[in-house]
Amino acid sequence: MNQPIIRVENVGLRFDSFVALDDVSLSVNAGQCIVICGPSGSGKSTLLRCINGLERFQKGDVWVDGVSVRGCQDLPKLRRGVGMVFQHFELYPHMTVLENITLAPIKAKGLSRKQAEDLAFHYLDRVGIVDQAQKHPGRLSGGQQQRAAIARALALEPKAMLFDEPTSALDPEMIAEVLYVMRDLARGGMTMLVVTHEMGFAREVADEVVFMDRGRIVEHAPVDEFFSTPRAERTREFLNKILLKL
Amino acid sequence: MRYEFDWGLLWREPYFGWIVEGVLTTFHLALLAWVLALCLGIVIGVLRVTNSRVLRAIGTTYVEIFRNIPLIVQLFLWLYVVPQMLPREFSFWWNRLDNVPYWTAMIGISFYTSARLAEQIRSALRAIPPGQFKAGLSTGLTQVQVYRYVIVPYALRIIIPALTSEFLTVFKNTALALTIGVIEITATTRRIEAWSFRGIEAYTVASLTYIATTILVILFMSWLERRYQIPGLIKRGEARA
Repeated sequence: MNQPIIRVENVGLRFDSFVALDDVSLSVNAGQCIVICGPSGSGKSTLLRCINGLERFQKGDVWVDGVSVRGCQDLPKLRRGVGMVFQHFELYPHMTVLENITLAPIKAKGLSRKQAEDLAFHYLDRVGIVDQAQKHPGRLSGGQQQRAAIARALALEPKAMLFDEPTSALDPEMIAEVLYVMRDLARGGMTMLVVTHEMGFAREVADEVVFMDRGRIVEHAPVDEFFSTPRAERTREFLNKILLKL
Repeated sequence: MRYEFDWGLLWREPYFGWIVEGVLTTFHLALLAWVLALCLGIVIGVLRVTNSRVLRAIGTTYVEIFRNIPLIVQLFLWLYVVPQMLPREFSFWWNRLDNVPYWTAMIGISFYTSARLAEQIRSALRAIPPGQFKAGLSTGLTQVQVYRYVIVPYALRIIIPALTSEFLTVFKNTALALTIGVIEITATTRRIEAWSFRGIEAYTVASLTYIATTILVILFMSWLERRYQIPGLIKRGEARA
């Protein structure tokens, strides 16, 4: 097997006395899609933020494409290699969609405006909202905003993508359009780590599923195994709850 | 009241020339002080919300010094005290400048205003969702770039109304510069009165200058507010479209 794109090794993080991550290890290989689920407060989002150095952890280390996050001298460069998509989109409301996407390629990567715009249009087309390029995010529907945010992350041509509950702030119709884009990305071979409660998406797209609770990885299994024969009691309990909801 | 108005006086020399010069001095003093204050205010405002304790302490100290001493006292401090505390070569150079009172007033007014602006900017920065900052960082922008391109432009749009009234305050505060010998429009009217004993006409000029200018500024700023209004955020007086 080739070297994993993301390797998390024994990461531990605490906020004062609260243990947010407790000895978490995980690797994501090139082209893999791993879904992380678990109750709120279980450390899923914190784990994602550790991977691109947005959160400092006290124990262990994370390697992104062979570069250690803890010892990283050039975090901006490392972060460019890992796209991130947020629950609340976090598009910059005072810029048009096009400006949102071209900002980092121009300022952080040093592309010319022309190159950056070509890239932006390419990825806007890929997520299906090329016609929204000149609008401000406030004029877009939630689903369109999230797709624009995905395009913003893709425009840096990252080696991997992190999704932090990308559909939790959307209503059902819009969830479908965002999941469609994500499915398309995964099929295209993008390496993805997705925090979500969309079990349908997990079942269909993910290679492996991770279940976290109270800062630990309770279960980590290939997708079929995870749904058919979950080993941990806590996983079964959680799956029953959220599958019942559907 | 038995007072014979002589408005024509204002159009006669030397008064007319004085008025033009006074108005212009007020204008460029206010503008220069404003630009400097805005730059300083943004930097200090950002320092006050950074993660670094040292930078925050610097920001806080700056704000508390410059907003807690009355402006008129600060002007005297800048004129009489500060030059003596600086290296000799510098104070020689400084004192040989033309228009020392003018530059002193500019510095005094802009530092005082920047402390007030820094507080406004700080409150706007705190109103911006922290996710914006994370999003910027996650795309590989540096902290400085995130502030420069995302956070500060966003914050400035939120506080345009507050900036308007700060500018009006700077503009009117320039009148205090007369106490250290700057001949701006208020000092000019006092001079006209002293020469001609025409106080009503003279002070009318000053008042009209201030009112007319502030109204123009208000019109300009409300245009700016519309121009830079963030689409999709709730607009004044109307619900979201």
